[in-house]
Amino acid sequence: MIVFDAWHLPGIEDSDLAGWNEWTYDDGRIRIRVPVLDPSALGRVTERLRAAREEALAGRPVADVVRAVDAVARRLGRSDDPHRAQAERLLPAVTGYSPPMIRLILDRMAADWRAGALDGLLRAEFRDPGVLDGFRDDGSTAGPEWREGGPGRGGAAGRAGGGVSGGRPAPRRVRAYGPELAVHLFSGNVPGVAVTSLIRALLVKASSLGKTASGEPVLPVLFARMLMEVDPALGECLAVTYWPGGSAALEDVAFGSADTVIVYGGEESVASVRARIPPGTRLVEHGPRLSFIAIGKEALGAAEAPGVADAAARATAVFDQQGCVSPHVVYIERGGEVEPRRFAALLARGMERLEEELPRGRIGPAEAARIRQVRGGAEFRALAGRDVEVHASDGTEYTVIYEADPEFTASCLNRVIWVKPLDALEDVVAHVEPFARYLQTVGLVAGSRRREALAERLGRIGASRITDLQGMPWPPPPWHHDGRGPLLELIRWADLEG
Amino acid sequence: MLDREGQALRAELIERFRRGVDAPFADDAFTALAKRIFAYQFERNAAYAAYCRRQGWLPEVIEHWSQIPAVPTAAFKELPLVSGDPGRAEAVFRTSGTTRGRERRGEHHILDLTLYHGSLLPNFAAYVLPDGAELPILSLVPSVEEMTDSSLAHMIDVLSDRLGSPGSRSFATVAAGIEYDALNEALRGHEADGQPVCLIGTAFAFVHWTDRLRERGERFRLPAGSRLVDTGGFKGRSREVTADALLATYEELLGIPADHVVNEYGMTELCSQFYDNVLRDRILTGSSRPRHKVPPPWVRTVAVDPETLEPVAPGEVGILRHHDLANLGSVAAVQTEDLGRETEDGGFVVLGRASGAPPRGCSIAMDLLVEAAGARRR
Repeated sequence: MIVFDAWHLPGIEDSDLAGWNEWTYDDGRIRIRVPVLDPSALGRVTERLRAAREEALAGRPVADVVRAVDAVARRLGRSDDPHRAQAERLLPAVTGYSPPMIRLILDRMAADWRAGALDGLLRAEFRDPGVLDGFRDDGSTAGPEWREGGPGRGGAAGRAGGGVSGGRPAPRRVRAYGPELAVHLFSGNVPGVAVTSLIRALLVKASSLGKTASGEPVLPVLFARMLMEVDPALGECLAVTYWPGGSAALEDVAFGSADTVIVYGGEESVASVRARIPPGTRLVEHGPRLSFIAIGKEALGAAEAPGVADAAARATAVFDQQGCVSPHVVYIERGGEVEPRRFAALLARGMERLEEELPRGRIGPAEAARIRQVRGGAEFRALAGRDVEVHASDGTEYTVIYEADPEFTASCLNRVIWVKPLDALEDVVAHVEPFARYLQTVGLVAGSRRREALAERLGRIGASRITDLQGMPWPPPPWHHDGRGPLLELIRWADLEG
Repeated sequence: MLDREGQALRAELIERFRRGVDAPFADDAFTALAKRIFAYQFERNAAYAAYCRRQGWLPEVIEHWSQIPAVPTAAFKELPLVSGDPGRAEAVFRTSGTTRGRERRGEHHILDLTLYHGSLLPNFAAYVLPDGAELPILSLVPSVEEMTDSSLAHMIDVLSDRLGSPGSRSFATVAAGIEYDALNEALRGHEADGQPVCLIGTAFAFVHWTDRLRERGERFRLPAGSRLVDTGGFKGRSREVTADALLATYEELLGIPADHVVNEYGMTELCSQFYDNVLRDRILTGSSRPRHKVPPPWVRTVAVDPETLEPVAPGEVGILRHHDLANLGSVAAVQTEDLGRETEDGGFVVLGRASGAPPRGCSIAMDLLVEAAGARRR
């Protein structure tokens, strides 16, 4: 039996807790304890986080932070590391994902937290990441040459540049400041999303209080503990705990002490947080998102189509389709050597093979029941004479529904994917436009010129990431997460002119 | 209307209904009738027959009723699942509309309403009126004239007509929701004259109504023997109320004790309904077994594993599958996505609906209607 204390609260002793609740998994073999905090204890946590930041993080070079995170990531990527072993033991039970899926996710996530990846993120966001450490020349000038009285009328020296001599503007220097304390509200069961959020905050020198989701209370705690071991002063800048979302007394304390609140979750919970954060506190929202795949006929030659179908199967299977990056529908253009109906069969074959390598995780009876109903509905549409074909496992492991009606269909997830034909790939825009405000990732396979033209149209309506099928589940570290700069949206600028 | 063979089967069913809910219907006899009904439906319902053939279940290979393929409720949204000519249906009941975009509504074609009524009346009488009481049935569901395709409205109309005493009526309209003032007036009248009543409606409607009573500081002490039938649950709605909290509210604001509150579980896709055991137990035996639903003898309910579609081990949670012989004109075996657990006496407990599944029934529609009416008033 394993008992895991799902909190990392520097400065808080067990005796400071009002108690804890216990969640059991795996027939009682795994027990996760989550603390019951009272608001005053949480208040002490946030004060301590601010003090720890002042002491250990605010003045520390960003390269140092990268080094510490890299050390944690290196350990997490090693199968012989005890923390990694614990993650592999706990996460399948807690999240429902199969052990091979957990291993894959841990490997991919850990790679994204290595120094090279983090440097890439910093450089994508900041021309000179040194702006996080001090004022840096940003290559622009403090202002255009400008003279009293306007151009052509002569006059005194330009006034924009303070110490300008000879009419030449001085270089501008800039500095980026992160929040002192970021509060993160996590949701969902995809491991790694929470840790990525904590790392982004660390990179901009923010202390963080993370509230875990009941679906994944483990990895952010392990990350914080590992950071504590690698770099104790930095570990003091993180606190991770759980409370039931919406607990007003605790969230009032958390929101009141934060400069920035980062919230992940469904529309209702995001709206509820929005309504409760104090004026002047920055809110970073990651609400629900929708992704899909579109494949042009030029990619559907008899030789390459099976490979494309396998990649689409993998993009669907990763995270058991529960990620925001996971596709609901695969749009297939007619007129390729492999027609959409045949593609659906290939996709099903790919899904079936993946069931060996990357099995679908445990799902609840309600989710399995939903899959049965979705399949049943599709089967009876076929029996009613509509152009529908269902390819499915005997159990609920995977379901591929070929359906000629091109209307976008939101899947019930857990590896239920639609294949829908289009006469022209470009028609996809009209079908997804009604859901534009939820659009995120498009796995787009088409000839390069056409792909770019279609990307332009999809981007215009709201898609924030257009990628290939292999990359679909794994956004690179510098991705503009939901269309925004993941570090830039945390910082504020200060300009030093002249 | 049923054809000649259907009418012969109907006669047997009507005889079963007439014998009431306590008449034994042994499993082999049930299987024998279920097989004949399956063969009848197989012959007349091409889509269902194709579905069964694909799974390898033909009438001649069935040995036990539980082998007869069940149709998922979602199928009722896709085509008329009728064993006969849909054009000759005496009624078409539709599931309530949902807010989920273009999703279609499920349709249940009723070829012969006497089967519907024949199953409804003895079952309701046994579980809601086990003392033989004749009560005014006061409904919080709009009348069947307004909601012609609602099975719940139809059911209440028939109950009021056949089992209700004078004063039975609906206290809700589609346009305005619950008619609070008229309902309060009627109840004050019965408080005064000592006539017990039977209130009936969706759990949502009761939540809205009792919220309002509480707001206004009003409460009733309804005469002893009054009872309340609520239907539907709360999953997926902004306001979730536990069953226990609702029972306490009924007692506090209406004076109806928990053992006089009967929850009805019904679905558009079935001609038969299920009721809580509590009032019947209380009145007939004085016992208080845990609250659960009891199928009438002409219905069998099993909980199956959604992964394998095989029955779960006794006491385990599965998804409920009903085999309702009163569904002669459509499909008898219906696979729901309602989670439940069988009890030892052949009954079951409903544990909720698959999350994200469009909720069944009129419960949500009534609620939306009340909300919409409220929005207009604002």
